[in-house]
Amino acid sequence: MTFRTPSRRLFLGGALTTATAGLILPHRARAQDAVNFQLSWLHSVQFGGSYIAQDKGYWSDAGLEVALQPGGPNAPVEPPVVAGTALVGISAADYTAAAVNQGAPFKIIGVAMQKNPFAIASLAENPVNSPADLVGKKIGMALANMPVLEALCSINDVDISEIEVVPTQYDPAPLVQGQVDCLLCWATDLPVAMEIQGVENVTMLLADHGYAVHSQTYIATEDSLANRRDQLVALMKGEVMGWQDYQADPAAAAALTVEMFPDAGLDLATQELQAERQVPLMFSDLTEAEGFGWFTDETVAANVETLALLDKPVSADLWDRSILEEVHG
Amino acid sequence: MSGAVAQRGGRVARVPGSGLIVALLAVVAWEVVARLTAQSFFIAAPSAILAHMVDHAGLLWRAFAVTLWAAVRGFVWGNLAGVLMALLVVLVPRAERLVSTLALLVFCLPLVATGPILRVLYGPGEGPQVTLAALAVYYTTFLPVLVGLRAAPQGWFDLVRSYGRGRLVALREVRLPAALPYLVAGLQIAAPAAFLGAMVGEFTGAERGLGVLTVRALRALDLPATWSIAVIASAVSVLAFAAVGWAGRRLDLAPPQVLLAAPLETRQSRWRGPGEALLALVVTLVLWKGAMELFALPRFFAKRPEDVWAYMVSGPGAEAHRAKLLGAMAETLAFTAPGYLAGLALGAGLAVALTLAPRAAALTMPVAIALRSIPIVATAPLIVWALGREAAGTIAVVAVMIFFPTLVACLHGLARTPRAVLDLFEVYAAGRWRRMLGAQLPAMLPAFFASARMAIPAAILAVTTAEWLATGRGVGALMATVASTSDYGMLWSAIALIGLVAVCVHGLVAALERWVLARTNAEQLAR
Repeated sequence: MTFRTPSRRLFLGGALTTATAGLILPHRARAQDAVNFQLSWLHSVQFGGSYIAQDKGYWSDAGLEVALQPGGPNAPVEPPVVAGTALVGISAADYTAAAVNQGAPFKIIGVAMQKNPFAIASLAENPVNSPADLVGKKIGMALANMPVLEALCSINDVDISEIEVVPTQYDPAPLVQGQVDCLLCWATDLPVAMEIQGVENVTMLLADHGYAVHSQTYIATEDSLANRRDQLVALMKGEVMGWQDYQADPAAAAALTVEMFPDAGLDLATQELQAERQVPLMFSDLTEAEGFGWFTDETVAANVETLALLDKPVSADLWDRSILEEVHG
Repeated sequence: MSGAVAQRGGRVARVPGSGLIVALLAVVAWEVVARLTAQSFFIAAPSAILAHMVDHAGLLWRAFAVTLWAAVRGFVWGNLAGVLMALLVVLVPRAERLVSTLALLVFCLPLVATGPILRVLYGPGEGPQVTLAALAVYYTTFLPVLVGLRAAPQGWFDLVRSYGRGRLVALREVRLPAALPYLVAGLQIAAPAAFLGAMVGEFTGAERGLGVLTVRALRALDLPATWSIAVIASAVSVLAFAAVGWAGRRLDLAPPQVLLAAPLETRQSRWRGPGEALLALVVTLVLWKGAMELFALPRFFAKRPEDVWAYMVSGPGAEAHRAKLLGAMAETLAFTAPGYLAGLALGAGLAVALTLAPRAAALTMPVAIALRSIPIVATAPLIVWALGREAAGTIAVVAVMIFFPTLVACLHGLARTPRAVLDLFEVYAAGRWRRMLGAQLPAMLPAFFASARMAIPAAILAVTTAEWLATGRGVGALMATVASTSDYGMLWSAIALIGLVAVCVHGLVAALERWVLARTNAEQLAR
């Protein structure tokens, strides 16, 4: 969104940015701004709040036409956001930190998952209930997540050389087949699949053992923050409203997800269980007090500390609360 | 005349009554094994697959239609590109080194690099799927067609020349008819590859399609769903393969007359080889940088040649980067070489076996096509489970990925044995082994070497895939890791190194090929 006439710029004055212009301009009167919103994975109730925002018109009412772009195994979020084809992407603090260290101009403008969803899943007869239980076990995980395991071990004084890492991808089969004793995965993903298939399993959330990394974070470029603020505010406002509705009725969000994406091959029971399991990760005392997506200097400090252990040093500047402040303010 | 049936190549022999019973017994055995091992989620029972297909008929049909349409478009564009490149090389022989080097390098680009770039270039929609399907097929059409365009006796060219006609007439009257059977081979190899390419293309962030459903089913531990998709992908590939073969037979492509060409004396300037290599390098670098600048791809994920140079040679930490990448590459090559040789031997060996015993083709070809048309992310878990995460598993993945193009190309090559030569063997009542060794194997050599060249990039890609999915070592694991941490400098360095290795190995194989063919099939070397 740019100024259309120089006179308006003069009228508003240099100190006022495009955001103000965006707010003052009557949104409904003009054509909708079309933006892409890059999700981090295939469509599922993981993005249920966004579907509600779309379905209930929270974005279109604000003059924003949002296209939700699914991710996939070979669809990293960062390139479209850097290239500007997507206004906002769903990432995670560790991925964003890595990208920023490689020169990407990102800011985290909101945090959907207050608690990191990474978990160690194991079978009920051979459970991993605490990091110490990992010693002597075979763990299946995507190699890209090696730093996660290293950080967990470092925080909890576990000797990582005592754990045998087996590279796995995509599926819980290696655990069920006994190739490994446990899996490093999302608590809302493979454990849900196993539960639905009738495989009894135990999950240990890494966030409960000192692993503080914001997940499902909203990222935007510094350029967008400077020049497309009104769009960012409208998008995040729709997100906040959508996820508030989600919190009130996760099952409805699951039903909506299945209904909106008939070609995605989604199973309602799986989506309902996943919807339920991600509630405690996304909503906390903090979000009750300050609103969905919020983060404080303290939670950011904890993130910076964990990210240093992950060999992804960042400063607290990576987080920018100004959009959320406008949304909630 | 049993040999004649096989010489047509890829022909599916009629399944007699006993074959039907064998197939039925196999399905029953499959069902029993699946039910006995249900608790460990290895294989889905045929009844469960059927039930899933019936229950989800609408969903599977819609997904299938989307993927098929992308595959068809990719098939057309990719094969068109392959044929045009082969024509260019024949008409402008000096361009051969350049065109084949570029074709090889583009084929070496891994999905982790092309996926995000294509998605950014095309935006939402099916562009990346179609492009990846086209990229999966053009190389395996280019090489056989090029061989075919040269598979004509020198005398015919002399005849055309004696009438004062030029290259275009020779192309139309001599080369194109000679190339048709090889085109059929290329299209048959392309059929499953295009479908697989379209499915894998959906991993770059597609809304719908069988590839999307595959990822979903694998993660959900939904075996009937995974296997339903595998069955559909295999079935459509088998059908497309058979349809291309049927169309090829309609053309009634008789084996050629005797291909007589005098053994070639190579008289090349000492500078020509290095000169061409240098030209190919310069053009590659210019295209690499030029394309990225043209599309204004951000440097963050689309690294230019100079970025790679800085990362690997002149920039900070270059020494550490080099050590890491070269170490990983050494691990990768240790697995690639045996897998490559095993896949070639398996493909050529099967082609010979099927020519000697054509009935077996009815059972073998569908399995061979299926292995080639199901995404490796779906088959790799089974291979890994059966053979483990060490050398055997990786080598098996590579062999599975490359034996099929070799098999098809060699079958067609065997069928190209000159009629007159076969008649001669028949007159002397030579046995089929004698005929195989004396007549058919030499006729197969050009096709075999074409396979050996097209298997080079395929083998490297297969090893990197296995490393990413199963072993966690080598360049494949490195590329997966750095792609997820946005370390695109390392990713593009790895791609550049893979390209370099592929070109070098290609040079070695091509030299061996020239040495052998100069003695057996000199027409291939005439320019």
